[in-house]
Amino acid sequence: MNWKNVRLIFLREVRDQIRDRRTLFMVVILPLLLYPGLAIGMVEVQLWSNEQPRTVVVLGAANLPQKPQLLEKGGFAAEWFTVPSDVNKLQVVADAGSPPPDDKAAAKRAVELLHAARELRPLVEQLGSLQQAAREAGKSADGDRLLEQIRSAKDKVAEGFSTTKIQVLIIVPAGLTQRIEQTNQMLAAKGTETADGASSKSPLGFLVVENSADEKSGFGYQRVKQILNAWEQRILQDRLSQAKLPPTLATPVNPMTIDVAAVKQFSANIWSKILPTLLIIMAVTGAFYPAVDVAAGEKERGTMETLLICPAQRSEIVVGKFLTVLVFSVANVLLNLGSMGFTGKYVVAALRTEALSKTGGGVLTFPGAWEMLWLAILMVPLAAFYSAISLALSTFARSTREGQYYLTPLLFVTLGLTLFCMSPAAEIDPFYSILPVVGPALLLKEVLAMPGSTAPLVYVLPVLMTSIAYSGVGLWWAISMFNREDVLFREAERFDVRLWIRHLLRDKESTPSSVEAVICIVLIMLLQFGVLELRHGTGPLSGIEMLRLLIIQQLVFIGCPALFMGIMLTTSVVRTFRLRLPSWKYLLMACAMPLALHPLSFSLGMWLQKWFFPPLPEQIAQIARVMANPEIPWWLVILAIAVAPAVCEELAFRGFILSGFVRSSRPSVAIVLSSLAFGIVHMVPQQVFNAMLLGVLLALFALRSGSLLPGILFHLTFNSLEIVRERASSLDLKGPVVDWFITTTTSKDNEHLLQYSWPTLAIAFVVAALLIANLIRSAPWSKQPTDDDLPNRARGESTAPPARPPVATR
Amino acid sequence: MIHVENLCKQFSDLRRGSIAALEGVSFDVRPGEIFGLLGPNGAGKTTCLRILSTVLKPTSGTALIAGYDALTQAAEVRARIGFMSGNTGIYDRMTAWELVEYFGRLYGMQEVLLQQRLFEIFTTLHMLDYRDVLGSKMSTGMKQKVSIARTIIHDPPVLIFDEPTTGLDVLVARAVLNAVAALRDKGKCIIFSTHIMREVEKLCDRTAIIHKGRILAAGTPVELGERFHQSDFEELFFGLISQAEEGMAASR
Repeated sequence: MNWKNVRLIFLREVRDQIRDRRTLFMVVILPLLLYPGLAIGMVEVQLWSNEQPRTVVVLGAANLPQKPQLLEKGGFAAEWFTVPSDVNKLQVVADAGSPPPDDKAAAKRAVELLHAARELRPLVEQLGSLQQAAREAGKSADGDRLLEQIRSAKDKVAEGFSTTKIQVLIIVPAGLTQRIEQTNQMLAAKGTETADGASSKSPLGFLVVENSADEKSGFGYQRVKQILNAWEQRILQDRLSQAKLPPTLATPVNPMTIDVAAVKQFSANIWSKILPTLLIIMAVTGAFYPAVDVAAGEKERGTMETLLICPAQRSEIVVGKFLTVLVFSVANVLLNLGSMGFTGKYVVAALRTEALSKTGGGVLTFPGAWEMLWLAILMVPLAAFYSAISLALSTFARSTREGQYYLTPLLFVTLGLTLFCMSPAAEIDPFYSILPVVGPALLLKEVLAMPGSTAPLVYVLPVLMTSIAYSGVGLWWAISMFNREDVLFREAERFDVRLWIRHLLRDKESTPSSVEAVICIVLIMLLQFGVLELRHGTGPLSGIEMLRLLIIQQLVFIGCPALFMGIMLTTSVVRTFRLRLPSWKYLLMACAMPLALHPLSFSLGMWLQKWFFPPLPEQIAQIARVMANPEIPWWLVILAIAVAPAVCEELAFRGFILSGFVRSSRPSVAIVLSSLAFGIVHMVPQQVFNAMLLGVLLALFALRSGSLLPGILFHLTFNSLEIVRERASSLDLKGPVVDWFITTTTSKDNEHLLQYSWPTLAIAFVVAALLIANLIRSAPWSKQPTDDDLPNRARGESTAPPARPPVATR
Repeated sequence: MIHVENLCKQFSDLRRGSIAALEGVSFDVRPGEIFGLLGPNGAGKTTCLRILSTVLKPTSGTALIAGYDALTQAAEVRARIGFMSGNTGIYDRMTAWELVEYFGRLYGMQEVLLQQRLFEIFTTLHMLDYRDVLGSKMSTGMKQKVSIARTIIHDPPVLIFDEPTTGLDVLVARAVLNAVAALRDKGKCIIFSTHIMREVEKLCDRTAIIHKGRILAAGTPVELGERFHQSDFEELFFGLISQAEEGMAASR
């Protein structure tokens, strides 16, 4: 890689982007103006918006006790409000006890409201008694009938509310004051008279009507409720003092809440949610538009070929462009965040007026230098990741418009991941730290939420390393796009589904293409999801039923699709599925290797389970129990857990899918891709990990030996060993020699766990290493199944370039 | 300088299946001569020249340019060729001078030499007036000259021109052809593709007539005239084409 060329290309592209007015506007001008503009706008709107006072109509105001006074001129008494200025938010129209408003129109409206309220009154009172009766009837036929009546009554009242614009209606029953006085006196006389029936029932008739579905009514009601609570408390206090009882009678415990939240912590919590979200979104948008311009745009403007004929390598061109996109992504993040910070600190403070303080503009402290440092550090891998992906997608697009279409799914997926990260449930742990995007986002969230704490720092290394790796993969993908003629010189095609299907069926070759392999993977994955749905539907299954289901699942959802696709889409089933006999050497190795690998794989899985993997899903644990259950016939267990997966998964992943990938990639790449697919299809993280590693070995076997049989044997033996281990654990084997190799522990649920001890692992490791080394070096890649047409050098099957170019056979 | 042997290129298209863009193309070009590639649209001229410029990879066959293999030593080849076609545009937001300078640097030219040569070329091609005009603001003629300047900035021994006069008016086209002739006189090895008879007659020392991916005939006009007993080059060309068409129709 000639870095001088990369530098030349990078500098030119950056200068080119800066000269583009549109980019300059989006990346520089817009952020600088947007946030101050938004802040000013928001403050203005706050100033203009006037919260309309809510209308409360009180009927029977004459029945209210004189002390403590609830109503005052036109509203509630000021003493019931915690914030004095809130008095004006509730406008009260009462039928007695307050003088009519001076304004003629207001007076007229008051009269109208009272009239409408009086009309609604009988309906409301009926509703009240219905509700009481329904509560007493409980769940019964009577109760249901009452609910029906209540529903229709409520609808009528709601309609009444909306036509008359009453937001809260209070109906004070007659005799309220007398009843309160009565109970007060009774209490004062220490209740020597027996309580009579009337005063033991709760005083009926003080009704407060609201419509919680209507925001205005709902908010109004909340305030009224607070006022009524405060007023009722005062009445209670008066009652207690009149009876010479201590005021603490009503609150025997009176717990006191102490909130240790510091302002700094409160702010940190907010920043920990907002900043990572903004960071990610700015990184995506900042990367995407330059990426589209620098690759798809170059194709559109006809300068791509000019660049391709200069001495720079494709990889140098891609890296130069990648660095350009990265610079703009980072610049976008910095400018946006800087502008936001500036707005928050200076603009809002300058605008801090009466209006703002009235609505409670909170005090926010800014993140300190330590947090800013981490923001800067974690910004780079995120930006690099998105730059690489955007560049690859953009290279694939034929025009800038098509490139922009690819933004939407990328943005949606990103938003989804970001929302997940910001939920309180998501916390950084070893498993999340290695995921793309999620890892850096969660780490940043932790660092910002607890300023100065060093606990999350243990994750820094995995997060950074994996982020760099993912960016590398993205970049590798972009470079491979740039090396494909069909991508760089894509002509306008009219994609016709019929034609494409006809092409698939008519132009069959002896082995599948990569596209067909991918279709097979997608098909199997979709079917797996279907299976999950099925499993939810059926109830708990017995062991035998479960095993039968497993067999069917393997055959129908993995083996058959692959087999059918192979038969329908290829001309040589033998070649596609490698149905040949290999040399005995491979068969022996295939039997021996699992014996060595199983202890290692199992122990690794156990160790990782402790600190890395999320807990095992219940269904998988169930299967393990089924395996161990001695009542279930062993041949069924072996059939379901060893034979069926061995045959079906090999047919699919080392047969159809591997053959497909091998056609258009280097063998090592094909192995990695097929193993990735194999792993992902298992879905459960523990199995994904296991399957990926084993998949590599199985694919190696398939390619080296040219046959599927060693893989089937390996798979069978490996899975059978797991069954054996589970069965042996229930036997609780012990003995002087045995203890050297295995240990059986018993958990409190009386579940046995057979584990391998160190000597076993050590021996296994050595043997496995030897066998694997032998496998890798056993032969050069065996002749790949290729189509019998033109030998095609572009489909590099051979690792070494041919000494002389093959002569065309056409 | 250019040695092409049995070059084949296959594309696959959904609609038409597998297409052979080039089949068994072979020719040689020596320094100090202009080799013409004459053929109708779709003959495979652009594909052939793109393979020579290493932008496409051949399905089979060899292409040696200035002694280097286009497939295995692509970077070396690119350092020694100048390529110009209808698809090699110029950057909108760079000035003429900046663009040629940029490519000069990519070709690894020394700064001092580069500046000298820039001045030389801009003077010869009468481009000094618009050396600081942005690409988007140039006329077609100016753009074409900038492309020529870019093609020769690093003084490559081999030059490849793919229909360089497409869409140009008479005057500009003439200027381009004159420039190409001047380069031949300097001893460059030039391959030149076109579908315009006049250009071939005026410019090319030897010509290959290409049709549907095959070379029907190659040689100097005199040689070809003698071989096919047809002194009029135009008639020769059409005769060969129609013969080839009949041949293809018969074999179907």
